[in-house]
Amino acid sequence: MQALANQLCENRQFGSKMTDSKYFTTTKKGEIFELKAELNSDKKEKKKEAVKKVIASMTVGKDVSALFPDVVNCMQTDNLELKKLVYLYLMNYAKSQPDMAIMAVNTFVKDCEDPNPLIRALAVRTMGCIRVDKITEYLCEPLRKCLKDEDPYVRKTAAVCVAKLHDINAQLVEDQGFLDTLKDLISDSNPMVVANAVAALSEIAESHPNSNLMDLNPQTMNKLLTALNECTEWGQIFILDCLANYTPRDDRESQSICERVTPRLSHANSAVVLSAVKVLMKFMEMLPKDLDYYGTLLKKLAPPLVTLLSAEPELQYVALRNINLIVQRRPEILKHEMKVFYVKYNDPIYVKLEKLDIMIRLASQANIAQVLAELKEYATEVDVDFVRKAVRAIGRCAIKVEQSAERCVSTLLDLIQTKVNYVVQEAIVVIKDIFRKYPNKYESVIATLCENLDSLDEPEARAAMIWIVGEYAERIDNADELLESFLEGFHDESTQVQLQLLTAIVKLFLKKPTETQELVQQVLSLATQDSDNPDLRDRGYIYWRLLSTDPVAAKEVVLAEKPLISEETDLIEPTLLEELICHIGTLASVYHKPPSAFVEGNHGVQHKGLPGSAGSAESESPDAVSAGAATEAPAAVIPSQGDLLGDLLNLDLTPPATTGPLPHSGGMQMGAMDLLGGGLDSLLGGDLGGSPAMGAGFGAPPAAMPPAFSAPVSGSLYDLFDLDNGVGMPLGSFCPPKTVWLPAMKAKGLEISGTFVRHAGVIQMEMTITNKAMSVMTGFAIQFNRNSFGLAPAGPIQVPSPLSPNQNIEVSLPLNTVGPVMKMEPLNNLQVAFKNNIDVFYFSCQYPISVLFAEDGKMERQVFLATWKDIPNENESQFQIKDCHLNSDAASNKLQSINIFTIAERTVDGQDMLYQSMKLTNGIWALAELKVQAGNPNYTVSLKCRAPEVSQCVFQSYEAVLKN
Amino acid sequence: MMTMISQLFILSSKGDHLIYKDFRGEAGNDVINVFYEKVTALPGDQPPVVMSHRDLHFVHVRQGGLYWVATTTSAGSSPFTIIDFLNRLAALVTDYCGSLSEKSVQMNFALIYELLDEVVDYGYIQTTSSDVLKNFIQTEAVSSRPFSLFDLSNVGLFGAETQQSKVAPSSAATRPIQSSRDQGVFVDVIERLSVIIGSNGAVMKADVEGEIKVKCYMLNCSEMRIGLNEEFSIGRSTLRGYGAAVHVDECRFHQAVKLDEFDDHRILKLCPSQGEQTVMQYQLSDNLPSPPPFRLFPTIERDNRGRLLIYMKLRCDLPPKSAAINVSVSVPVPKGCVSLSQELSSPEQRCELKPQSRSLVWTVPRCSGGTQLSAVFKLDVPGLSSASMLEVGPVGLTFELPKLTSTGLQIRFLRLTPVQPGPSQRWVRYVTHSDSYIIRV
Repeated sequence: MQALANQLCENRQFGSKMTDSKYFTTTKKGEIFELKAELNSDKKEKKKEAVKKVIASMTVGKDVSALFPDVVNCMQTDNLELKKLVYLYLMNYAKSQPDMAIMAVNTFVKDCEDPNPLIRALAVRTMGCIRVDKITEYLCEPLRKCLKDEDPYVRKTAAVCVAKLHDINAQLVEDQGFLDTLKDLISDSNPMVVANAVAALSEIAESHPNSNLMDLNPQTMNKLLTALNECTEWGQIFILDCLANYTPRDDRESQSICERVTPRLSHANSAVVLSAVKVLMKFMEMLPKDLDYYGTLLKKLAPPLVTLLSAEPELQYVALRNINLIVQRRPEILKHEMKVFYVKYNDPIYVKLEKLDIMIRLASQANIAQVLAELKEYATEVDVDFVRKAVRAIGRCAIKVEQSAERCVSTLLDLIQTKVNYVVQEAIVVIKDIFRKYPNKYESVIATLCENLDSLDEPEARAAMIWIVGEYAERIDNADELLESFLEGFHDESTQVQLQLLTAIVKLFLKKPTETQELVQQVLSLATQDSDNPDLRDRGYIYWRLLSTDPVAAKEVVLAEKPLISEETDLIEPTLLEELICHIGTLASVYHKPPSAFVEGNHGVQHKGLPGSAGSAESESPDAVSAGAATEAPAAVIPSQGDLLGDLLNLDLTPPATTGPLPHSGGMQMGAMDLLGGGLDSLLGGDLGGSPAMGAGFGAPPAAMPPAFSAPVSGSLYDLFDLDNGVGMPLGSFCPPKTVWLPAMKAKGLEISGTFVRHAGVIQMEMTITNKAMSVMTGFAIQFNRNSFGLAPAGPIQVPSPLSPNQNIEVSLPLNTVGPVMKMEPLNNLQVAFKNNIDVFYFSCQYPISVLFAEDGKMERQVFLATWKDIPNENESQFQIKDCHLNSDAASNKLQSINIFTIAERTVDGQDMLYQSMKLTNGIWALAELKVQAGNPNYTVSLKCRAPEVSQCVFQSYEAVLKN
Repeated sequence: MMTMISQLFILSSKGDHLIYKDFRGEAGNDVINVFYEKVTALPGDQPPVVMSHRDLHFVHVRQGGLYWVATTTSAGSSPFTIIDFLNRLAALVTDYCGSLSEKSVQMNFALIYELLDEVVDYGYIQTTSSDVLKNFIQTEAVSSRPFSLFDLSNVGLFGAETQQSKVAPSSAATRPIQSSRDQGVFVDVIERLSVIIGSNGAVMKADVEGEIKVKCYMLNCSEMRIGLNEEFSIGRSTLRGYGAAVHVDECRFHQAVKLDEFDDHRILKLCPSQGEQTVMQYQLSDNLPSPPPFRLFPTIERDNRGRLLIYMKLRCDLPPKSAAINVSVSVPVPKGCVSLSQELSSPEQRCELKPQSRSLVWTVPRCSGGTQLSAVFKLDVPGLSSASMLEVGPVGLTFELPKLTSTGLQIRFLRLTPVQPGPSQRWVRYVTHSDSYIIRV
């Protein structure tokens, strides 16, 4: 390739006056020789042409360094054009010929004093570009002069030169005091000088993160804002980017900066516009939302963003990637601008896909009709990729805007009628999602779907169809025939389809047991005996045993009500989004990744390698997101039972998002798990010994399990249970020490101290009752006043009375949370009445709210994102935990012991961010972000909860467990 | 947190190195080949905008058949800024070399290196204004084509073919700005029209993006005043009286434009720099003053021999004196379509079946306002089903409307101060291009 390119270049004539092609065809030696002769010619014109030829050769990659002395000889000339050419050559070869480069120094120094400012600037610019250490010491004096030159062109060139010199020798620059001179240039009268000084300082400051080089204070801000109005467009971009790093002191300053930046929004250069948008988006965060100005600003942002879309496709693409971020952060800005995102037929496909994504993000009840009409049109276009995305988008609309679901379904049915193969398949995949979101609502369409069974050739569509058949088996008369038809080629199907088919047939069997015994036998034996896939085998065995042990339990597990899927499946994590908003316009905003992810960081961030391409960086389809989430989530320390069961229930096919707390699913899943546990434990025991026990309703036993299988299989099952143990029944539950609740003095000799603990899902009130009186105590009873979470004794207190004097006894009282509710102050206050044969005593105690954290408090990642975004910022509270010396893994494990689950973990600039969720017994969810910085004993917890009053209590639990 | 260009290079479409400049010494010139391999291997649905190779990120544009590439290592670099800059650089090179091609870049490499030295220093973008640059640039441009006033062939409006070419000498507008033999000013009003017409005939969307470009070859022109229609109004709510107010939603001006006479008299004042500048950009959504230029009335049916028949009536709603040229109507046809026969109303019209893009293309060289053209297309589609009928449409049109602006924007006058002695030429040209004109069926 390279050789070919060179060949082509060599054959090409360079320059009109170089028609004589022999320079490029003769041997290298001859060529160099002739050039040498010409360079030493007396005639200026000839010299100039010769230098041009040298540079032409240099450009195409030929080595002309041998001519260095001859070219340097041409340097002393009063012809500016020739001088520039020589300098161009010098910049290129000085590094490889450092000793020779010294030869040129004298001329440089002399040129720095030339009366012509162009020559002064040229000399200082070129000297800076000669990256040779030896030359730097000669550079200092001329540079110092040039920094104070009377001509602004020379000053701005010198300012840049400081940055160049700093890159070669930072110490020298500091020692020579150039940095101070550079800072002074920020106040220069010429805006071009200011812009370059700002650029140079910004770059130098980046390599000294702790210096106060770019000390942005109100005075410098004022200077910069003034220069902003007079600068060239490119200078304006430097200044705006620099402004974006400033943190205003208060909202008034923030507003005044916004006011001065706003005029940039109507600049003709769209790069200036985008930089201004970045500054405004950042400083807007500081403005109170009820401020009139805030509303005005929002309105002002829309038109320039729309205008960005009138540029070339490349710029449009970058603009759209940025708008995608802005829309997620502040959808209100563009909510009325849906039309500008309609695709044009001549848009490149990558622009079309971005537009589609933004359209879905902007879809709302108000504009859904419009959007759907558009999407339907797109679904009939020629470009297959685009059509697929359009069909998926219709499904996303249905899930996002409930009122539109019906219309979306009918649109999808229309599309299925086209019989265009890939349209039908995509439509079926999204209809399955719609069923998941709105169960039992649109089943009338199943008949239409079944008509298209034969045309499905993509695994995803086949799997979706099979899921639908299994899920609604009772309403499809010939469900067994349909599934049987798939079973014929079972081993040729992809794993996705096989797993789905297995589950669907088991579902069918549980719904219509009489006619389908043979079918289920067949699929179980295909899955367990003929397959090499461990997932398939394990799932097969679990079903098999479940069916054989306890068909009722099987029904409860397999046909359990599934959590609903959530609307937004591809939101960017809130903190990442905030970070990306700060990087609007930069590479990060195109990749949708934080800079640390693709640039060797100087913060010790692990280099994660570059994404293959910007397009694949963001997955469009919900399923791809789920796959991405699965691989990216090493932080999900232990899979929760939700994941495990979800897999059994085949949630893996659908976006793994579940909405909010479902009243049943939690308890149900726990119950189901126990059932499974008990049944399997005993079954496995029996299994190892001999033949498996068979359920009564379940025909013939399976061809006796090959013994070789039993051991590994049971092993893998135990593994599953280990996981479950780890989550559901933390062995080392956190238990605060007992405190005295009722001192003996106040209770006629009865002393009660106690604490609360949650163990295996049960809240226990652990008490030590001491008799310090002189007489025997009997007739103990306990009662709670109404309290915030409805805590109540689950049964009477068990004290083996009588209690003799000076005797104490440990009592453990199980509690439930179904008692009467009344809000207490503080929230976790509990008033207790305690009775014995002597009297009734009252005391109050406070329970750690962590005892109320349910075992199913692990939120799905996607739901977490959506919920976090959904809860208003006012509900967020922040706390500091001081003097904590755990690393993030240890902290995560400790918190898990009180059912605070880590959902995801991310490292940003050396800080570990843990995203955690917990669920109170009354269904309130609390979301947390825990920041742990290596070497810093102070953690920051940000809590978001729809009921913000619990935050304080939750925080106490964090503190208690982490410091324990 | 700022844009720093590490290297800049220009490649021919075949990957030959034309220009290479390293600003920061961060990477070797071997990345040129890495770039070329990457860009040629890029699948069509991947955005070509930013590509990466280890720590290096490539940003490129294509102009004049060449790759204009910048590399950067800084995460704070804005691809947006770089793309904008590369486009400006290409415009500058065009201004200086007269035209943009592999040949003109090769012939003027010394000039381009000189330009690069001034426009970027250590990766910081300095200026792209030809006014500023003319103080620094020493090298004379070498024109790739001898300049002749009589060369009236192959006329274009900065690259776009128009009928207007018969009026303005093309080569006058494509020559290096440094040449001082002939003085002239070209003002072009270029509008791009995007329209979507629904299957019921309702106009679902009609947008215009317009710009006024000035190309100036005046050496001693201190001020230029461009008068727009007096009834020109900006903003979505401003209603200036009744009737034919010329209205746009959004307007942006080049920063050299002085607007002190704009509010009262709609006069743009500027001190024109040499070369081409976009003086004003504007946008109009929906409320177009006139109906969209084309309407289409299609009827699609199956004949008794199983062929697909498409009848089309194309009505041109332009004013009678105007005409659209180079009209091309592209109709998606069902998959598997094997042959086409057609009946067209005049011999200069053409129709062609394009199997790759699954469409038929009907071209009409010229279509006057108020006329109506009809055509019948008969397509043989083996296994034609009612579902494949749905694959017909939407219809896309491309065309050009010379001497016409969709917004009605006009240049009232063009005055230069000081009054130019000797023969100076002032050209004002209008054209509307179809950007995306879709009629759903």
